[in-house]
Amino acid sequence: MPLLRAIALTKDFGGLRAVSSLSFDLHAGEILGLIGPNGAGKTTAFNLIAGFIPATSGDVLLDGLSVLGLKPHAVVKRGIARTFQIVKPFRKLPVLENVTLAAFLHEPQRDRAEAQARRWLAFAGLEAQAERFASDLTLGEQKRLEIARALATKPRILLLDEPMGGLNPAEVDEACALVERIRAGGVSVILVEHHMKAIMRISDRVVVLHHGVKIGDAPPAEIVQNRDVIAAYLGEVAHA
Amino acid sequence: MSRALAAAAAGLLLVAAPLLTSNTFVQHLLIMTLFAALLGAAWNLLGGYAGQVSFGHATFLGLGAYTTMLLHLRLGLSPWLALIAGGLLAALMAVPFGWICFRLRGPYFSLATLAVAEITRLVVLNWESLTAGPMGLLITTLPALTIFGKPVNWESKVPFYYVILILAALVTLATWRISRARLGAYLLAIREDMDSAEAAGIDTVRTRVLALALSAFFVGTAGGFYAIYFRYIDPDAVFAIALSVEMVFVPVVGGIATTFGPIVGAVFLTTLGEVFRDRFQSGHLIFYGFFMMIVIRFLPDGIWGRVRTLLVRRRAPNV
Repeated sequence: MPLLRAIALTKDFGGLRAVSSLSFDLHAGEILGLIGPNGAGKTTAFNLIAGFIPATSGDVLLDGLSVLGLKPHAVVKRGIARTFQIVKPFRKLPVLENVTLAAFLHEPQRDRAEAQARRWLAFAGLEAQAERFASDLTLGEQKRLEIARALATKPRILLLDEPMGGLNPAEVDEACALVERIRAGGVSVILVEHHMKAIMRISDRVVVLHHGVKIGDAPPAEIVQNRDVIAAYLGEVAHA
Repeated sequence: MSRALAAAAAGLLLVAAPLLTSNTFVQHLLIMTLFAALLGAAWNLLGGYAGQVSFGHATFLGLGAYTTMLLHLRLGLSPWLALIAGGLLAALMAVPFGWICFRLRGPYFSLATLAVAEITRLVVLNWESLTAGPMGLLITTLPALTIFGKPVNWESKVPFYYVILILAALVTLATWRISRARLGAYLLAIREDMDSAEAAGIDTVRTRVLALALSAFFVGTAGGFYAIYFRYIDPDAVFAIALSVEMVFVPVVGGIATTFGPIVGAVFLTTLGEVFRDRFQSGHLIFYGFFMMIVIRFLPDGIWGRVRTLLVRRRAPNV
C-alpha cells in the first residue's frame, strides 16, 4: 500500500478547474517531484492535501485513512507537514522559538521542546542563527527555517513548496542535500519546484501537471522524453 | 534577588496603600486604577498575546455585572459567589462569541466583536422582565460578612480595595504563567501568522476560544465587582462602548503583550484622566486623546514595553 494516495482530487474555483481529477501515489521513502508550468495547480494540490482549502471532490488517503476535510493542524498531527511557497516564518519571534512552537506539538515541556528545536536547527544548518529574529534571516535561511519548523512536528510526509525558488546556485545545492538528508531520516517528500536541474537530480519520480491535469508520472529520465510534457513546457510548435 | 526584593516591596506597598490615606477620593482612585488594570490585563490575554483585537469586551463586563446582580437579587446568592458565577458565565459566552467572530480575521474580527457587543447591549436593554431594562438594577445593602471575627464595614472603601487587588493580582499571575507556558507561545504564533500556526500543528480556533474564555472570565469578574462596588448597573453603564475602548487603551499605553504593561497603563490613564478632568472641566477628553496619540506615535511598545527594552539593553550592552 502506498503511504499517501490522492484519488481523483478535484478543485474548482468558481468556473475554473484548478485541479482536475488528480490521482497519484507516494511510497514510503520516496522523493516525488511535482512540476508544471505556472498556474498548473501544484500549490492548490498542496493546499488540498494539507487541509488549507476544501476539495470539490476526490480523496486523500494516508495509510489507507482519509485525511481530506481535516483542519490543517489535524493533518499535521496525522503526520503531513508543509512549507509555504512564499515563506511565512513567525517574523517577530526568534529563530529557535519558531521551531520550538512546532516541537510543542509532541512535547509540552518547554526545555525539552527547545532541545528538540535546536537539533532540528542543526539539521537544517541554522544552529548559529538560533537567537536571531526570523525577520533578520536571508531568504535561503528563512526557507530552511520553514523546513526545520515542519520537521519539528515529526512528520512522515513533508510537502515542500518551491524550497529552491529565489536561491543562488550554492544554496540550491545545499537545499538538494537537505532534502536528501530528510529522506534519509525516514521522511517521504513531495517537492514542488521550478528548478528543473535540481528536481531531475533528486526526485525518484516526477508527476507533471498542466492546467490541473496530470500529463506525466514517471522517473525523471522518462519524463524529459515525454512528448506531452515537452509540449506543455515549450508549446505546441516544439514538436510540430 | 533584586527582582524578588522589588516584587516584595511592591506587594507590601499595594497591601498597605489604602491604609496610608483616609481620603476616600484617593482610595476610590486606587480602586479604579486596579479595576482598569484588571480589565486591561484580561483584554491583553486575547488582544495583546494572541493579537485578536476585540472592541467588544464590554459584553463580558456587562454579562458579569448582570449575572452577579441577578443571582444576588433574585436568588439571594452571596454577591461574592455571584461575582465568580458572573466570571464563569462570561467565559461560557466566549464560546458563541468566538464562534461568530473567529471566522473573521484582522479588522473584520474587530468589527464583528463591536457588533456582537452592541447586539448584547440591546438584548439586555429590551429584555425588561429579566433585566428591568433601562431602569437598571440596584443593591440597597450588602449582606453582612465577618472576616477573622470582625464585621466588614461596607461603607468604607478599604474592603473593596482588597477585593479588586486580589482580582488584579490573579489576572497578572495568570498572565505571567501563561506567557511562560506553551499556551503563551501558541498565542504569539497566532498573532504572527495564522496559517503558519496551523502548519506548526496549532489548533488556532481552539486556542483562540480558550484565550477568549480566560479573558472573558476575568472581565466578567470585573463586571461583578463593578455591580457590587457601585451597587447600581444599567445597560448603558456596563455595556458601554467606552468601556470596550478603555480596555484596549490600558495595555496599549502600558505595553501590549507584557505581564506588567496593563498595570502601568492603568496607573497612567487613571491618574491622567483625573488630572485632565480636574484641570479642564470641558473638553478634558481632548487632552486624553492627545496623550494617546503621543504614546502611540513615540512609544509604540507602550511605556512598560519601552522600559523593559531599556532594562534588557542595560543588562546586556553588547546585544
